[in-house]
Amino acid sequence: MPDPEVTDFGGVLALMARSGVECILIGGLAGAVHGSAHVTYDIDFCYRRTPENLERLASILAPHQPYLRGAPPGLPFEWSAATLQRGLNFTLSTTLGDIDLLGEVVGGGIYEEILPHTEVFLLFGSELRCVSLPMLIRMKRASGRAKDLDMLAGLEALLEERQARGDG
Amino acid sequence: MPNPPALPEPPLERDPVIEVYKADIDRTLLRENLRRTPTERVQRLQEAVRTVRALQQARRVDR
Repeated sequence: MPDPEVTDFGGVLALMARSGVECILIGGLAGAVHGSAHVTYDIDFCYRRTPENLERLASILAPHQPYLRGAPPGLPFEWSAATLQRGLNFTLSTTLGDIDLLGEVVGGGIYEEILPHTEVFLLFGSELRCVSLPMLIRMKRASGRAKDLDMLAGLEALLEERQARGDG
Repeated sequence: MPNPPALPEPPLERDPVIEVYKADIDRTLLRENLRRTPTERVQRLQEAVRTVRALQQARRVDR
């Protein structure tokens, strides 16, 4: 079972960007891309649930041995487009680190609903779609988790700083 | 990569709880990050995560 000590952010972002998978970077790493100083350890994506995209997503991650994070070893878990189709949100450990794949996000909805609230960033030489800072704040607010309060305050302060620079 | 038509973002209402937390945010870190490229921001985060992991795995050797 893969268990890297530290998630390879650059490796995962480059993989997803170059694969053509329709996905949106969300969560703490999206905050970091915008300029947040909050430390996060995994990578979250909202992915489009079309059959073609599920096939592509299953294919590009397969070499990195996705497995259900925290599940006991030896479960009959098969990483495939069919598994993605049967589920919705997956928290995975891979040889590249921890990756969360979300078909629907609290406060944001599905891929098509979040898409109009995204920006494209150049990351590690490739273009990757990332949720906008205001939408990320709405998602974090909607999740209502006490552990997110500090991060949320940082994101809102970041938005104020951007607006003060005329980049809000 | 073409951008879809962007929807206007409605203004966020102030949340009094978040405002309390916001008072403790170090904005100098945010301003430094805003001067960096997105890739540089992720690279710095990666270094921070590696450091945290190393510290978590540290053991006392003085006994």
